[in-house]
Amino acid sequence: MAKQDAKAAAAKPAKAQSATGKPTKKAAQLKQVAQPKQAAKGKQAAKPKQKERAQAKSSSQRVEDVSGGGTNLLTAVPEPKYDWMNKSRQWGVRVKPGKKGLTLGSLNVGIYGEVPTDWPDQSRNPRGAIPRHGMPPVGYAVRDKAAMWADGAADLYEEAIQRRWAPATDVPWDSIEPLADDVEHAVCQVCTELCQYANVDIEAISSWQHQMAYGYHEVKQYLATATFDAARHYEAFRKRALYNGGGLGLEGPGEVNRMIIESYGGWTETVAYLFLLRGTFTMTMLRYLERFAHNDAERYIYARVIEDKARHLAYGIEHLQYSIAHIQHQAGVLATVLFVGDRIFARDLRDPVLREALAIIFGNGIEGARATGLDTWDAMMRDFMSSLQETCAWLGIPRSAAGMPEAMRRYLPPDAAAEAASADIPEAAQAAAR
Amino acid sequence: MGVSQEVHLGEKSMSEAAQLDVERDLDLGWMDRRGEWEIQARPSKNGLTLADIQIGDYGDPPVVSENQTGVPRGAAKRDGSYRIGAYGVRTKSEIWLDNASFLYEEALQRQWSSATDIPWHTIEPLPDDIEQAQCAMDTFLTEVEFVAGDVPARWVARTTPDFFEARNVLLCQVMDESRHMDVFRKRALANGGGLMCATGGTAGVVGSIDHSRDFTEMSSRLHISGEGAVLTIFRLGELMAYNDAEKAIYRLCAQDEARHVAFGVMHMRYMAETAPERHEEIHCYLDEAERGILSGSQNPAGQFTQTSESMAILLGGGKANFDEGRNRLIAIRKRQLQEYIKRVKSAGFGDRFENGRSQVPELLAEIAA
Repeated sequence: MAKQDAKAAAAKPAKAQSATGKPTKKAAQLKQVAQPKQAAKGKQAAKPKQKERAQAKSSSQRVEDVSGGGTNLLTAVPEPKYDWMNKSRQWGVRVKPGKKGLTLGSLNVGIYGEVPTDWPDQSRNPRGAIPRHGMPPVGYAVRDKAAMWADGAADLYEEAIQRRWAPATDVPWDSIEPLADDVEHAVCQVCTELCQYANVDIEAISSWQHQMAYGYHEVKQYLATATFDAARHYEAFRKRALYNGGGLGLEGPGEVNRMIIESYGGWTETVAYLFLLRGTFTMTMLRYLERFAHNDAERYIYARVIEDKARHLAYGIEHLQYSIAHIQHQAGVLATVLFVGDRIFARDLRDPVLREALAIIFGNGIEGARATGLDTWDAMMRDFMSSLQETCAWLGIPRSAAGMPEAMRRYLPPDAAAEAASADIPEAAQAAAR
Repeated sequence: MGVSQEVHLGEKSMSEAAQLDVERDLDLGWMDRRGEWEIQARPSKNGLTLADIQIGDYGDPPVVSENQTGVPRGAAKRDGSYRIGAYGVRTKSEIWLDNASFLYEEALQRQWSSATDIPWHTIEPLPDDIEQAQCAMDTFLTEVEFVAGDVPARWVARTTPDFFEARNVLLCQVMDESRHMDVFRKRALANGGGLMCATGGTAGVVGSIDHSRDFTEMSSRLHISGEGAVLTIFRLGELMAYNDAEKAIYRLCAQDEARHVAFGVMHMRYMAETAPERHEEIHCYLDEAERGILSGSQNPAGQFTQTSESMAILLGGGKANFDEGRNRLIAIRKRQLQEYIKRVKSAGFGDRFENGRSQVPELLAEIAA
């Protein structure tokens, strides 16, 4: 019914409701429609009952302003002025859906696609709208494009939405069979630490998100998907730990967690730690976990988390690239950040818990851990270091094998180690390390 | 456990992470340190939900959380962990709600895509006054929807993970609001219009959602009054939709908003039941909310002319039918207040409508008379 009305209104907007003067079907859906002119201009609305008035007077907290100082705000609608009409910075925009639907990135046409290098406006004025001046600031602290931007943020946002999944129903939980005690214990320990990783993702990102200027909405929106992903990871790993006769294990070492959470000097620094360093490590670990998963449920979880983390990593790398390209000396700053981060990361690596738990999973038991699991751990670490170094080289962040802690350097590929060794340790990095 | 115990490095090795010199040695001391064990959660008819893993210690959030390290609830703690949480929300009554698990799972199941789930092709050119009114509303909604993204995100970072169920619902809300922000921007740019004037309706003034220093204070403003008012509009969105795309937008947004409002109502109910000492304070927040529900600029059906005129045009079918649109606008306001009363009663604060503290019943009585 309403559909027909709407179509009629669309076709004949002026005639649809006024020609007959009768109430339309739309109006019929709303019962007891008020008569605004009578209510607003006629006699004052009915007086409250005496008892109510007495009660109201006795209450010091009575809400005085809902009545609008004598005007019933419920019925008051001033005569229209339409002074907001015909005001637009660009009219006549007609974006059509493409093969991927109507995407966020496709909206960036004309002035709506102009993304300035800074956004001093501290209101929620949508980019491309006419701002309303004179309003107190909301308090956005990060207002430079170079401090948060990534060219692919809008596409990553849409991809995140398309690739949504629900651990409750999408994971084939019934594929999990009882495992040997030591293996189950190791899986639960890894899940415990991955829960903590997800928790750090959530807390680090959400503590920055509200500080980011509204003009860069693509980034804010993408980060909303990233924390949403992390909430799902937290949930999925907790569910796995509590499914198969185990439980949660021991809290992980907190050195890297602390480093990420406390990197609040700038979002780019957080990105370097959270997405580049921790993110690359987690991604590598998940790939190995997927390879050595014991059932389809675990395989599914790891595969889907890998997809999610790949987007996080993509945003992180693109942001670092943009930041390096637009901020003087930024590559050097990031070299220093990573120089410090390497040392903290290495301290976490010395903790035996994660290494042993992974080795047990890779080796399918404690004995297997000794036989092959620890070798697989080494291979995983070599893959991690290789990925990290390749990414840093691509970004142009100088890295030095000589300045790297032994716990990481030992996993460098021989040629990369030789190449990296030829680079100088940045002076600033040495100072920061001191 | 059936595992061979190798060299134990003891507590120090866990916190200080002493390096094992012989790489092939296994410590395995961590295997003795764990949370409650032999847990076997089983899926219910809705899959393996958060409610299904509320077993033993794992299903028992503390009344006051001492967790400052971010350890997952129920896991074994390390003595040497850094207190990196700095969590301000550590008391259960400050943020808890009994149906958080349900709301979270529902949010995951009901995610949608503004790119592909909206039948954008059904949008046909509209008369200029209607397109302008639609774009003005879209501009407003693009502006305000992410208040409910920015603010919950900030509170998530301040809340201990011991209450992760509530945090996860808030993270879903951030995701939802992000989608709302984009769907209204898409609508504004899809049919020959564009963005218009911002309203400044979410400016940082005292008493704003942004600047609340207490979670329940924020929730009463955001979930109960702010989103409650918008929910009513979305539910009645079909009255001002001119094609299937707009109908789908309002319907899907209403579905999301209903969860957000439910969060606020259920949290306030939990607060009412567990923290009676805060009743009067909560009433003060509701006093403020009622002062702004029709006069503030955050309710598009309220007194702010840019949005109320836009709505009247959309509801009436054009400027020529403004009076008819105005009648429907007033009917929507009335519905907003009726639904507000229901929510506040459901939350356990309905006494304000009986004892004369709230003027909302009087307003409704006046219009009925």
